[in-house]
Amino acid sequence: MRTKSLFVALGLVLVLALVVSACAPPATPVSEAPAAEQPAAEQPAAEQPVAEAEPVTITWAFWGSPEEAASHQTVADAFMVEHPEIKIEVWNQPWEDYFTKIQALWASGDSATIPDVAFLWPTPKYAAEGVLENLDSYIKDAGYDLGDYWPGLLESASYQGSVYGFPRDIEVNVLYYNKDLFDAAGVAYPDENWTWDDLQAAAEKLTIKDDSGNTTQYALAMEGGKYAKWVNQNGGGILDDYVNPSKCMMDDPKSVEAITFFADLMNNGYAMRDADLSQAGGDAAVFSSDQAAMIIQNTSRVSAFNAAGKNYDVAVVPIPAGGQRWNGAGGAAWVMSSGSDNKDAAWTFLQWLQSDGGGESLYTDRGEIFPALQSVAESPAFMTDQPPANKQGIIDEAAASGVGGFGYFPEWDELNSSVISPYLESIWAGEANPAEVLPEMCQQANQFLADNGYPK
Amino acid sequence: MESTSHHRSPTEMSLPTRYALYAVLILGSVIMLAPFFLMLLVSLFPGEALLTRQFALNQITLNNYAETFSVVPFGRYFVNSTVTAVTVTVVQILISSLAAFAFARLRFRGREPIFLLYLATLMIPAQVTLIPNFLIITRLHIYDTLLALIIPGLFSALSTFLLRQYFRSIPMDLDEAARIDGASSLRIWWQVILPLSWPVMAALGIFTFQATWNDFLWPLVVTSSDTVRTIPIGLSYFVGQYSTAWNLLMAGSVIALLPVLVIYMFAQKSFVQGITLTGLGGR
Amino acid sequence: MTSETAPAELVRSKEKRNLFRWRPDQQWEAYLFIAPSLIGFTVFVFLAVAASLGISALNWGLSGPKGFVGLENYIQLLRDRVFWKAFGNTVFYIVTIVPLQLAIGLAIAVALNTAIRARDTFRMVYFLPVVTTIVAGAIVFRLILSKTGPLAGLVNGLGDLLNLPLAMPDMLGSTKYSKWSVVILTLWKNVGFTMVVYLAALQGVPQELYDAAHVDGASGWQRFRNVTWPLISPTTFFLFILQTIGAFQLFTEPFVMTRGGPAQSSMPVVQYIYDNAFRFTRMGKASAIAWFLFIFIFGFTLVQNIMQRRWVHYETE
Repeated sequence: MRTKSLFVALGLVLVLALVVSACAPPATPVSEAPAAEQPAAEQPAAEQPVAEAEPVTITWAFWGSPEEAASHQTVADAFMVEHPEIKIEVWNQPWEDYFTKIQALWASGDSATIPDVAFLWPTPKYAAEGVLENLDSYIKDAGYDLGDYWPGLLESASYQGSVYGFPRDIEVNVLYYNKDLFDAAGVAYPDENWTWDDLQAAAEKLTIKDDSGNTTQYALAMEGGKYAKWVNQNGGGILDDYVNPSKCMMDDPKSVEAITFFADLMNNGYAMRDADLSQAGGDAAVFSSDQAAMIIQNTSRVSAFNAAGKNYDVAVVPIPAGGQRWNGAGGAAWVMSSGSDNKDAAWTFLQWLQSDGGGESLYTDRGEIFPALQSVAESPAFMTDQPPANKQGIIDEAAASGVGGFGYFPEWDELNSSVISPYLESIWAGEANPAEVLPEMCQQANQFLADNGYPK
Repeated sequence: MESTSHHRSPTEMSLPTRYALYAVLILGSVIMLAPFFLMLLVSLFPGEALLTRQFALNQITLNNYAETFSVVPFGRYFVNSTVTAVTVTVVQILISSLAAFAFARLRFRGREPIFLLYLATLMIPAQVTLIPNFLIITRLHIYDTLLALIIPGLFSALSTFLLRQYFRSIPMDLDEAARIDGASSLRIWWQVILPLSWPVMAALGIFTFQATWNDFLWPLVVTSSDTVRTIPIGLSYFVGQYSTAWNLLMAGSVIALLPVLVIYMFAQKSFVQGITLTGLGGR
Repeated sequence: MTSETAPAELVRSKEKRNLFRWRPDQQWEAYLFIAPSLIGFTVFVFLAVAASLGISALNWGLSGPKGFVGLENYIQLLRDRVFWKAFGNTVFYIVTIVPLQLAIGLAIAVALNTAIRARDTFRMVYFLPVVTTIVAGAIVFRLILSKTGPLAGLVNGLGDLLNLPLAMPDMLGSTKYSKWSVVILTLWKNVGFTMVVYLAALQGVPQELYDAAHVDGASGWQRFRNVTWPLISPTTFFLFILQTIGAFQLFTEPFVMTRGGPAQSSMPVVQYIYDNAFRFTRMGKASAIAWFLFIFIFGFTLVQNIMQRRWVHYETE
């Protein structure tokens, strides 16, 4: 009897499952979400020849604060004036969870919610997953000029030799310095001849400590995550190959030396510890409030410091004696979803975004980015009379761009956040000695690479 | 939980012991309340007050609250949380009570096995069903809508189980009398059983409400638009974006706490009972 | 806890029972009653559980399943250093939070179960954090425990006053203390729950037993040890299981307060599930971890159920 009724129950469950799956789709439309839900797109049967007069709508995804979103909206508006046949709907998330959310949209496989054009980083990871459109044929058909990008930059948006995205900007990390604090400490302003030793000597003078030895004014605030700058300047590296790695290079003496240099700046109280920096609200906050005399950061801080009227300038980042200038060639890129249902319109928008006189110029003009296109960097949009005065310093750093800041393979993000970052975090916290833990970290990283089938 | 408290004879405790006891209890209360106090304090003063540790009474302001609402759509979050929590609470109890009624008072083939199946699901941690449910939600095309927040919350083995236990304690004679008068089962459920079950439903309802209101992991996973986010999610984004603006963060926190605290003040007994009954301590 | 046989059923007479023989009409009615619930359960629980097991045997990427891998996800877990670290953190949370919470909750309950004024007020105060939004709690504790926060100010001020080298450790930025920050927050949040349940149990202990012990000259501690403790042991057992399961599933507290850092030092297993599923798009691996967690919880509860015979005293007639 018991078993029989159990079968009845299971049968019932199965029947219900069928009923549910049959009934499910009609239950959808009562949606509260305003944006991105176009009921029309759910019936792709009608290939919309009727919609000749109606503009095509594409969804444009990016991350950013409310201010950044406003700036993107201006760009979208400018485009829609030039192209009335295309309507842009924006989809905005804070950076922290943008990636989680956009992955969820792709995972849904629903073309009505998938963004047509998105801001993305790192491109190769998503290209490998097949959610991005290969842009090679569009580039060829339109005769789009790839030569205008900074050297090494397009690699960050390519996968298996094909271009999957256009980097909007190139992250150029430069040294910002507070002239007032330098003057007060009687330290000469940094220039292109500064070495690590000069930086260290200046840091000693710029650091102010209280009676109990706690730093009240730091010489330097720099995110721990920007360590690759020191490593590559010193001739070290994170991996032996950034597309198809076979081993971790952080245990190389040159890498260890660079990490030790950075860690010592923190351990001596000259540079803010990474955790303190984030508790204090980031480098922009501590630079603005004169808690740090120097920061090393990309050009995104310029507009805020100009708006606040800071007395500052920028310089190239000091290099070790015998080392080389190096800047990680990377920048988030505009991509097209392979699941997009308006690819031609999306391409029109992409191409416009990445052109002199289009989106690139608008962003550069607003002082938000250092442009990915050399022509725009040399145009009046960048060469303004606004601070910082030393624009040549930025261009010098940009010209030294190359690979080495991160991997160009899909699993890089996971390798970085589950193996590399945790070790480095404990070094920045002053709890681990680089020479001791970096070999261990490399062992873990090598294991990870092997587990994921590298080198391929 | 009835307050059949039989007080010990006061002579049992010596006076110093008693004072020591009060001192410890008051100290404990201070520790429990300090975070709330700090929250309120920081939220009522301009940002510099915390930095300089100068909280002058004439600086008290509600600006932080206004600003919180203007930089983040807290009003929208509030509506989303309310709609979600109220709908889940009401519908979940209705659905559960219907099933509980059948399990407790109707006889049908497969009753015991199905009920056992329900009971067995109590053992399964939510993390196991998290990923499939997320996939189901996206396949139903309700990702990032209020429906995604509401629907999976409508079905609770715990509520069904507790209601069934309670329904079983109601004398069967009542049903039989009603049946003889020609009442249908639906009528008996609605007019006989539910009215007798107010205490347990109130307790259950309050628990469900606060658990849904405070839920974090599921809304984190299935929402992405400001227009759909609930208060805890909105608040956690706020942390990332305004990590130094403690005055704003605290104002946001106060806003998040307020509704549940107000209900707690008014319906303390049911609140405690609900959470104790369901035994989940608000996780 | 709840009696399975309600008195009403015993009272019922035989001929009346005939009325409740299985009847087809009532059968269908019953199915209609359970239908809404059963449909939901089928989709969001039964199907989901089966699907979860299935997914855990797949290699799953962003664009969907990429192939069947059998037990590979589970085998990989066994030598996944990060997984074991997260698991270790979760175990740390269990062995600290559960005993501390039971002890503190019991202590408060015993204190409140005396002839004390304003007992209801105290109870309300201690229970207050239980009902609060955990995200808000985590945010306040971020401020309280930060290096420049009020607690550090208090400790440093006290150090200056007493001329002692007192200093607050870096509760959030150091890998040594970040877990303790989570423990402190969780205790603050949940101690009130333990207290309320214990209080109810204590009020069920018959006064006569205490009086008898008193007459025998038992000290306060002896009375607690020999009368109270055995009598409330079923409650202790219940809370022990409940809090352990709760600690296993800890997520929001560390996620909001420390994001699991620094260096994964406060990351619990559930966050690793979240990261794998929604950051690294390894749905298969994430499902395998979830099942690992489930099996562990299940095994733990089973073992405890067997062990309880040694120390839990149920009243027997």
